[in-house]
Amino acid sequence: MQDKAAELLKNGTVNLLIGFSEDLGKRPVPCFIETAEEANILVFNQECKNNLSVYLHKKEVKDAVKIGLVSNIATLRSVMQLLSENQLWSLTITYLTVNTAGELVVLSSAEELEAYVQANFPTCRAEDKEMLDKLNAMTRAERWAYWKDQLSECVKCYACRAVCPMCYCTVCTTECNQPQWIKTSAETSGNFEYHTMRAMHLGGRCINCGECGRICPAGIPVHLLTAQMNLEIEQEFGGKTGWSLKSEYAMNSFKPGDKENFIK
Amino acid sequence: MELKLLSTSDIAVFVDGLLKAGKVVVAPVLKQSGKVFFKPVQSFAEVATDYIQTAFSAKEVVFPKVEELFTYQHNEDGSLDIKDQLDRIPETVVWGLRPCDAAGFDYLNQFFLKENPDVYFKARYDKTTLVTVSCSKCDESCFCTSVDSHPGDTKGSDILLTAMDGKCYVEVITDNGLALINSAKELFTSTDTLSKEAFLAKPATHFSMDEIKDKIQYAYASAEWKHASMGCYSCGACAFACPTCTCFDIQDEGTQDHGKRVRCWDACGMSQFTKHASGHNPRNTQTERRRQRLMHKFKYSVENLGVVSCVGCGRCIRVCPSHLNIFENILSVMN
Repeated sequence: MQDKAAELLKNGTVNLLIGFSEDLGKRPVPCFIETAEEANILVFNQECKNNLSVYLHKKEVKDAVKIGLVSNIATLRSVMQLLSENQLWSLTITYLTVNTAGELVVLSSAEELEAYVQANFPTCRAEDKEMLDKLNAMTRAERWAYWKDQLSECVKCYACRAVCPMCYCTVCTTECNQPQWIKTSAETSGNFEYHTMRAMHLGGRCINCGECGRICPAGIPVHLLTAQMNLEIEQEFGGKTGWSLKSEYAMNSFKPGDKENFIK
Repeated sequence: MELKLLSTSDIAVFVDGLLKAGKVVVAPVLKQSGKVFFKPVQSFAEVATDYIQTAFSAKEVVFPKVEELFTYQHNEDGSLDIKDQLDRIPETVVWGLRPCDAAGFDYLNQFFLKENPDVYFKARYDKTTLVTVSCSKCDESCFCTSVDSHPGDTKGSDILLTAMDGKCYVEVITDNGLALINSAKELFTSTDTLSKEAFLAKPATHFSMDEIKDKIQYAYASAEWKHASMGCYSCGACAFACPTCTCFDIQDEGTQDHGKRVRCWDACGMSQFTKHASGHNPRNTQTERRRQRLMHKFKYSVENLGVVSCVGCGRCIRVCPSHLNIFENILSVMN
């Protein structure tokens, strides 16, 4: 990967490469490199969990136009979803990933990306499935108590929103104050408003990378909210998020032939 | 300062006694997420003892994440009722915080009370007693020895406990601490020797404040800020976990007729923080925001209040989704 990254930077295919390096404690940290000489700091292993596609919305990255993106499968799926939402039109992206056989794979076009993602499509993480089954088996009152306890710890640092590639609105609903849709204060009722709103906006768009839950400083498994929304939308409307370049977003596409008549 | 001994088995008796006397005891509690939080407890049995650091700091006791400043109510006869809760704040003992968090209280005290005392902070701070526990363990994020502190530091504490050799040594630092001990005199015996150094954790020291004070003067223009901030997602995790971050936002919640005014935590790393009503943002990039956060800790607070406002607890490193490392950043911009 280091050699390939150096080559791409040297021959001008890529101006900016987003990958992982290690900090003093040997933990993988996102890194941004612009020259072939820096490519020797790159690492890629099982601990490289961050979904680096979120950085594609960053101004400094957009300005670089030709981007190299070190990706795990969740990152690739996010890019697929973003492409289907017409979000990355200004960028030319080369993807560097490692397949299950441990070989470096370089994907240079959206079509190659789509073929690779469909051939390597992940299933729901076992621990998430187990937790969702547990939550779905609860009574409504038990589930309410579970989330009330969890969300009481939320401090509204918005890290869940910040790490999410699908949360790319320039102004989030939480920051609107005329009118104020969502309370600013991080008390339990305001926290419910925020996380419900977020789950609704991400249902059918979230690709279940699980980053929001993994990085929550309060340890709240917020990713389960969107994972459950996705399951239900999949059952009702079919289709998978981050699967096709031509996905339609179930919650806002409308066809004259739809069986529901509430909009007619 | 006085030195006392408390038998390890009497710790629970002491804490339960405080509860019985009507005090609120806020202590580390392990929750199902596997993280430890400061929570009011009903008995010592709920208190977690095996933890390096809590998820969030104890600052919430004196600077809550959401603090009701007052409620207002327009009455039918045209009168207006405005009420605050200041006289209803209970006597609170914070139990089991680490020396770095206690040092954080020392900073909070300076920040909120030095000029124009903040009545809300003062009301809580005056009713709070800090019982700190020395650290015997640390991890690679801990760096208190780099910022003029150490795992057995008494700065900011009312009482410091060091449990070793089957005994609990009690350093009583303030009159507040003495009053707490005197409420259960029979549990404590006097002793005159304590050598805790061998017991204390040995976090890595990355720099010294003497070194920083000099070099930070030239750090503002460093090209390294860009590297130190490119990965920053612009969330508030570091600021909200920090024991010394004090920024807040005032909000009114309710209707024209009734509601409340609340003070909520805010964070300088967030993109909206400095945004003007005109739309102009003087800190328009994450590089400027990250620089502000770190320069405030290591330079501006030293200039304004005479104290460094980083206590080396390492929470910002542990919670950062991008694993940004404050001491690595400081080292890189200084060199």
